[in-house]
Amino acid sequence: MTVREIEPISLDLDRLEQMAESGYYNPYTIFEWPEVIEPGKPWMSENLTTLAGTPMWDELSREQQFALTKYEAINFFSLNIHGIRELMSEVVMRIHERAYAGVSEFLHHFIGEENEHMWFFARFCLRYGGKLYPAQPALRADSVAHLSPVAREAIIFARILIFEEIVDYFNAYMATDQSLPHIAREINRVHHQDESRHVAFGRMVFVDLLGQVAKRDPAEVPAVAEYLENYLQYSIGTLYNPAAYRDAGIPDALALRRRALEHPARLQAHDQILKRTRKFLSRAGAGRELIG
Amino acid sequence: MTADPMQKVRDFILERNPKIGQLAPQMDLIDSRAINSLAFVDFIFLLEELTGEGIDPEDLDLDDFRSLNAIEARFFKQKAAQ
Repeated sequence: MTVREIEPISLDLDRLEQMAESGYYNPYTIFEWPEVIEPGKPWMSENLTTLAGTPMWDELSREQQFALTKYEAINFFSLNIHGIRELMSEVVMRIHERAYAGVSEFLHHFIGEENEHMWFFARFCLRYGGKLYPAQPALRADSVAHLSPVAREAIIFARILIFEEIVDYFNAYMATDQSLPHIAREINRVHHQDESRHVAFGRMVFVDLLGQVAKRDPAEVPAVAEYLENYLQYSIGTLYNPAAYRDAGIPDALALRRRALEHPARLQAHDQILKRTRKFLSRAGAGRELIG
Repeated sequence: MTADPMQKVRDFILERNPKIGQLAPQMDLIDSRAINSLAFVDFIFLLEELTGEGIDPEDLDLDDFRSLNAIEARFFKQKAAQ
């Protein structure tokens, strides 16, 4: 494994570890799962759906709007599940590598918590939606294969971080949205609570690894920045799932997806969702301004 | 079906890889990273739109996407012959 070429990651994680321990909850008993979702409530905040702010939303019947919030909530939670599985598998492979020995204590908390998140998201989807949307297909040959091991390592942790930050934008909002059913609000709230620690950790690891990239070969940093900008755009794209449009009874799902992705109101919404992450990447020295 | 769907396929790839210049019909689009993981989902959606048929993500055969020749044979020639 190429991780041996990475210099040991050394971070002060005492506070995050203490928070993980003192804030520990039993995910299997913390939620009260109702038999059915309360009727007449959106499952996802209406202004977070992928058609919010566009004429395409206004053209839907009220019934279709509710259906869209339902299937986009299932899509959002499905993305959480697939994203968690991907990031957990990366972390599991590294937890006892020499480079990560200094942070393995926190990684144990991380893996445990992520496994629990995956469980409650899947439970919600299967119990109330009767399904998960399948994972997006991936290719093994990727656009970063030519980069150094340390740059690829920085990208892996940046992907984890970006995924968590985007998801957390939604969680944080829905955690307090009183229009949502209680169980949907609670799941978002609990996830948000844990993710703030994971985001803090992810940022620290990324900054360390990016520093190693810059030290080894500064010319690689713009390539990392370019990949991450593409990954941000890709991540936004996954929120627009034609299968969710079809399930909500909306015709021409693929054309609708394209129109929605390009709509000025949505571009503005994307900027809002990505604002915090982009600011962090710029401050860390891997922002999109480096892309030629 | 669109008049020349293969042109739309070529446009999609070239738009994302302006440095390629020309696309040979047998070029390996995956190994050459002309289509990478981040573009693959949108590429599948494009093919769904052009063929009017869904592609099940859990039932993908990557060889169907390897080259322009393979894409044409799998998604467009079969349909045209029907």
